Amino acid sequence: MNSNKFWLISGGVVLFIFLYWLFGHPYFIMERKVMFFAILIAAGTIIYYIEKAKRGEEIFLRTIPGLKAVEEAVGRSTEMGKPVLYIPGIMDMDQVETVAGVIMLGYVARMTARYETSLNVPVSRSIVMKAGREAVRESYYLEGRPDMFHEDIVHYLTDDQFAYAAGVNGIMLREKPAACFYQGKFYAESLILAETGNSIGAIQIAGTASPAQIPFFVTACDYTLIGEEFFAASAYLSQKPELIGGVKGMDMMKVLIVATTLLSVLLRLFYDLGWISFNIIDALTIQ
Amino acid sequence: MFWKRQIPIMIVGFVGVLTLFGWFFDHEGMQGFVNDDATQWYDILASFAIFLGALNLLKLQAQKIIRKKRGWQYSIFAIGGFVFAFTAGFLMRGAYFVDIKSPGTDTTAVAETVAEELHQDRASAEVLLGLITDDAPYRLGRVYFTQQGAEKVATELNKQGAVAVTEAESWGSHIMMRGSLFNWMFRFIFTPLSATMFALLAFFVASASYRAFRIRNFEATLLLVSGIIIMLGRVPIGSKISSWFVLYIVVLFLGVGVNTWLKNKTATMITVVGGLLLVTIVGWAMGWPVDRPAMFFLPILQDWIYYNPNVAGARAIMIGIGLGIFATSIRYILGIEKSYIGE
Repeated sequence: MNSNKFWLISGGVVLFIFLYWLFGHPYFIMERKVMFFAILIAAGTIIYYIEKAKRGEEIFLRTIPGLKAVEEAVGRSTEMGKPVLYIPGIMDMDQVETVAGVIMLGYVARMTARYETSLNVPVSRSIVMKAGREAVRESYYLEGRPDMFHEDIVHYLTDDQFAYAAGVNGIMLREKPAACFYQGKFYAESLILAETGNSIGAIQIAGTASPAQIPFFVTACDYTLIGEEFFAASAYLSQKPELIGGVKGMDMMKVLIVATTLLSVLLRLFYDLGWISFNIIDALTIQ
Repeated sequence: MFWKRQIPIMIVGFVGVLTLFGWFFDHEGMQGFVNDDATQWYDILASFAIFLGALNLLKLQAQKIIRKKRGWQYSIFAIGGFVFAFTAGFLMRGAYFVDIKSPGTDTTAVAETVAEELHQDRASAEVLLGLITDDAPYRLGRVYFTQQGAEKVATELNKQGAVAVTEAESWGSHIMMRGSLFNWMFRFIFTPLSATMFALLAFFVASASYRAFRIRNFEATLLLVSGIIIMLGRVPIGSKISSWFVLYIVVLFLGVGVNTWLKNKTATMITVVGGLLLVTIVGWAMGWPVDRPAMFFLPILQDWIYYNPNVAGARAIMIGIGLGIFATSIRYILGIEKSYIGE
């Protein structure tokens, strides 16, 4: 899509929404209009930067130590002749974190295939097992090592949180993996896993969007991908322009959010001082 | 290629857009799909997928035992536990009762048996038997795992002159029924094992805290100080520590700072002694109680740390997470991220 095409489509979308609004916007839940327009703006910004990246514009992506260390961790396992353990969280595929974890599994699997290192992926959901297998299979095929792939690389343990933690701890203590990856959605088991991994001396890289678990991972792991870094992992590891463009779009949205926050604070101050009659908080609050 | 590549991308895009717009449009069909149909489809899919998981688990554990891999003994427990839970859930009801319709004419022997079954005294059992009417039979307050167990008791009661029959809990509800075999397994095996794993967390928190709080740099020191303030401020002893005491500690830290910066013993001495005197004189002159000045009172200080710097940091992370989730979803809906189909 070239620049003109992007603006043409964006204009079409705006015109369509304008006409829809003009005709009384049937079925639309008016209390959610702020969120609706915020999503449109965010989507537009992200797509704009994706297209920019696709056209060849160079986009700077800051170094994320945790992602840089992925190859180092797999390499360490190869040198030590020990397996790599990958945990894609404890939730199902309906969670974006799990999806991001499975995507990253694909990249890690490509490295283990390249370095001929064994990979062990115990999962706690059957659907994640199937999705994980597909991701690993594709990676091994892409690296030209289908002979190394076998379905039991990704295997099911249990759906229960602590039974799963016990199972993974058992694997850690018996197999002593040299590298442990925790990428997905975690709850209270995060520290149990990470501390056990720490006790066996494995290099540990965690990534999660569960805010309550981030401090535990930061304490017990060597590297932690916090929030947005975790979602930027696939862009960083693949270096695909369309994915890197999405990361840039995300950053621009952050700038927009900061600007909106500052402007809102200012407008609210003016409202409190009685200079304006418009309360921005009422307008921005999503019902 | 079309079926393996384009079709999945189209399905993801269509369902993604529908789910996204379902939040904004009050249309019955759309709402029905988003709130009920889609989630039910997912549940059905997940229910079938569990068979794959269970079979995979059994296969791997069996292989481990057959090949005598390291730790194969644990696999026996894994398979044994699976078989037991499966049997208790699907093959055995594990919940049978004895209903006494009539205690008969001579209730003494019947009361003796009932008392023995319920681990009660005979007098209490007689009271219970006395409550039986034609319309309201008495259900013995004990659940039997097997039908034979219940029948044995019923036969004995019948021999003693009572009219007793056995009843079984209906399929499905036997899972939740208190006292059933499955429920017993859940309460007395599964729950304690889970609790044991959860309890390990306390020890892991201690070891992780030790590592996090080790003073290595400025950030670790800040974490240590904040951690101590939060911990002390949230326990009763925190409200007994006077603001004066906290101020004295602040002065001592100030002395450490001055010494590190100037490396001059006189300046350090003046800072520490002067600071301590200043706090004492000002506090004494102004008659500060335990909780004054409030900003140095631990419960108030911890509240401030918790609700201001902590919330600010957490919100910054949350905004990043929200944007990350949104960007990932958009990439999926628009078919930009295709790694889930192996591209």
